[in-house]
Amino acid sequence: MNPLLIALAGNPNSGKTSLFNAITGSKQHVGNWPGKTIAKKEGEFQHRGYDIKIVDLPGIYSMSAFSPEEVIARDFIVQEKPDIVITVLDAANLERNLYLAVQVLEMNVPVVIALNMSDIAEAKNIQIEREGLSQALSVPVIRTVARKEEGTRDLIDAIVDTANQTLL
Amino acid sequence: MSIIETALQKKLSFKIDYGEELEEQINQLVDEIAQRPVIAEQFPHRWLAIKLLEEDRDIQIKLLALKDGASLIKVAQKSIELLKSVQGDDLDIQIADRRYRWINQLVNSTVQRPLDDKRAFTDRFDQIVTHRYLGIPIFFIVMWIVFKLTADVSAPYIDWIDGVITGPIGNMIVAILNTLGLRDSWVSSLFVDGIVAGVGGVLVFVPVLTFLYLALAVLEDTGYMARGAYVMDRVMGKIGLHGKSFLPMLVGFGCTVPAFYSTRTLENEKDRILTGLLVPFMSCGARLPVYILFSAIFFPRYAGTAVFSMYLLGILTAIGLGIILRKTVFKNKEQSALIIELPPYRAPNVKTVWLYIKERVGTFLKNAWTIIMATSIVLWLLLAIPVNGQGSFAETDVDHSVFATVNRVVAPILKPLGFGNWQASGSLITGFLAKEVVVSTMAQIYTTDVLETNAESNGFLQEIGEIIFTFWGATVDTLKSLPLIVGVDLFEEEVETEPTNLMNAIYASFDASSGGHGVFAGLAFMVFVLIYTPCVVAVAAERQELGTKWMWVSMVGQLVLAWIMALAVFQGGKLLFG
Repeated sequence: MNPLLIALAGNPNSGKTSLFNAITGSKQHVGNWPGKTIAKKEGEFQHRGYDIKIVDLPGIYSMSAFSPEEVIARDFIVQEKPDIVITVLDAANLERNLYLAVQVLEMNVPVVIALNMSDIAEAKNIQIEREGLSQALSVPVIRTVARKEEGTRDLIDAIVDTANQTLL
Repeated sequence: MSIIETALQKKLSFKIDYGEELEEQINQLVDEIAQRPVIAEQFPHRWLAIKLLEEDRDIQIKLLALKDGASLIKVAQKSIELLKSVQGDDLDIQIADRRYRWINQLVNSTVQRPLDDKRAFTDRFDQIVTHRYLGIPIFFIVMWIVFKLTADVSAPYIDWIDGVITGPIGNMIVAILNTLGLRDSWVSSLFVDGIVAGVGGVLVFVPVLTFLYLALAVLEDTGYMARGAYVMDRVMGKIGLHGKSFLPMLVGFGCTVPAFYSTRTLENEKDRILTGLLVPFMSCGARLPVYILFSAIFFPRYAGTAVFSMYLLGILTAIGLGIILRKTVFKNKEQSALIIELPPYRAPNVKTVWLYIKERVGTFLKNAWTIIMATSIVLWLLLAIPVNGQGSFAETDVDHSVFATVNRVVAPILKPLGFGNWQASGSLITGFLAKEVVVSTMAQIYTTDVLETNAESNGFLQEIGEIIFTFWGATVDTLKSLPLIVGVDLFEEEVETEPTNLMNAIYASFDASSGGHGVFAGLAFMVFVLIYTPCVVAVAAERQELGTKWMWVSMVGQLVLAWIMALAVFQGGKLLFG
């Protein structure tokens, strides 16, 4: 079976890189996006019988064409058609981060949302109903704290579950 | 269709309701896309329809390369025109607005957060400072306050350092030299006329720079600078510059060198070169001592305003030149947007502000001990060596020195600008090493009598006591001057500072070279210093970032422009007000 291709999207400073590191551990390789000076990071791992390849997209705020980073991210989703796009949200800045998530969803790709930096949001007494979010967006919403490697296991489980559903 | 497939279809058909009118066009476009198999296969249909309505350039380019792409864009253009006729321009903003509305509803129903006063304050404050019409005037008022504050608050400390260098420290140096039996020797002259006058003349401006960087650091750390960049982005766009160009320009107010390096954030080469060419007109910290000195000499009552107008003139020059260059040499093309995060306002962090000041003032001090010390010594030598056998080494009148003789050759070029004397041309030439050297050179040339060489030191402890005592006095003066910034004189005291010997000497010299129009000559000199080539280090950075060709274009261009603008100021001033 082909490996699962996973893309990791999110705002700059949403903890996307920490999450990427937490998921892939040391098995990463770094190159450049074709023709660009923007770094492209990839990692591979196995989980529940799946070979999973994960690509870290550049940190962006929107899926428009305001910057080369945005074009790279959306071209990857449109052209490479990843099996799942993990969208990382900074739970303490939900509106701005959802603006990107909503646009990823509009691209009609399977999405799993990582509600990252949840500890900071909780410390600020921001209460997020994950169930409600998940229903409104019809995608899994997983609580993560990438810096402490919390919830990364749940996230990978959710990826595999979603893959099982869509690839049946 | 199997059950799972239907479920999947439903799962993947995420939709935001863009409102009746937009939805109608989106659906029409989705149908059009479905009829074009090559395109339909490559893009998510609804997403592509929305991108077409947003007039996304990148998507349009990609479509043009595909079969039936051009016709699809044409169809989309009709939809766009129709929508614009009903809803006005800026479809992309309307689409973004719909998305945010949808998100706000979602967040309202799923997120509970404590009333965030800070965020609410930030939002309310931003409504004013980023206001469509108020934002830009507010930005300039803030900048004006910064420079006024810098000039007024630091003035007493400038006098203090000046007093310390020419008083206690100078006395101690002289006393040491005298005890070593070097009274009135050339060594004594090197220390007193060379190093103390040169380095001391520049160290005097440490307080100004400290307060300038303090103000800039506070603006940055509170979060206002990001608003400034945001507000200016619209202006930049209007004059054909990229929004990202503004950041290097802001950096340029501190120092031109890092400003060149920060042009790297611009993706497009033309944008980068154009920005690089304009960055030097953002007046750097090293030019401030020149403005302060000359404002104090020629505009004693409006010194703060005079300094500020130099900064403003630099900005206006960059704008004017930017427009001209964009319409001629740098014609083009699509522009990409500025994306900047506006963080919530917060109290400035003492450590961040301290590091900001330390780094920049540290560079200035390092320059003082290296470049300025070295030029002071070389300059002293050039001033000490007599020409035509008039006087002997270190005994000659500076008027007959090598330095004077050489610069007299250059001086006539500056005559139409009102400062065709060897002192001015010499200062401008040494100023190429670093702009603050203009001041140290003048200090060396004009004042050969900074220190009374016969002065006896009053004893070490007493001198230290005097330093501390006068510092306290300067602080009191500063506190007194604070209400003046808003124009209130609580202490009803004449604040005009006593002109120093140096100031009097410069005034007399400029008055003579301009045929009695010293004020205009002084202003023209300030303008020349603003516009002409920044320092050697900046030029090196420029070569690295823009290449040798553009470095030369920039250097020659700046010299020519400085000459023309100073000419306009001097001759225009004479004509209108003379």
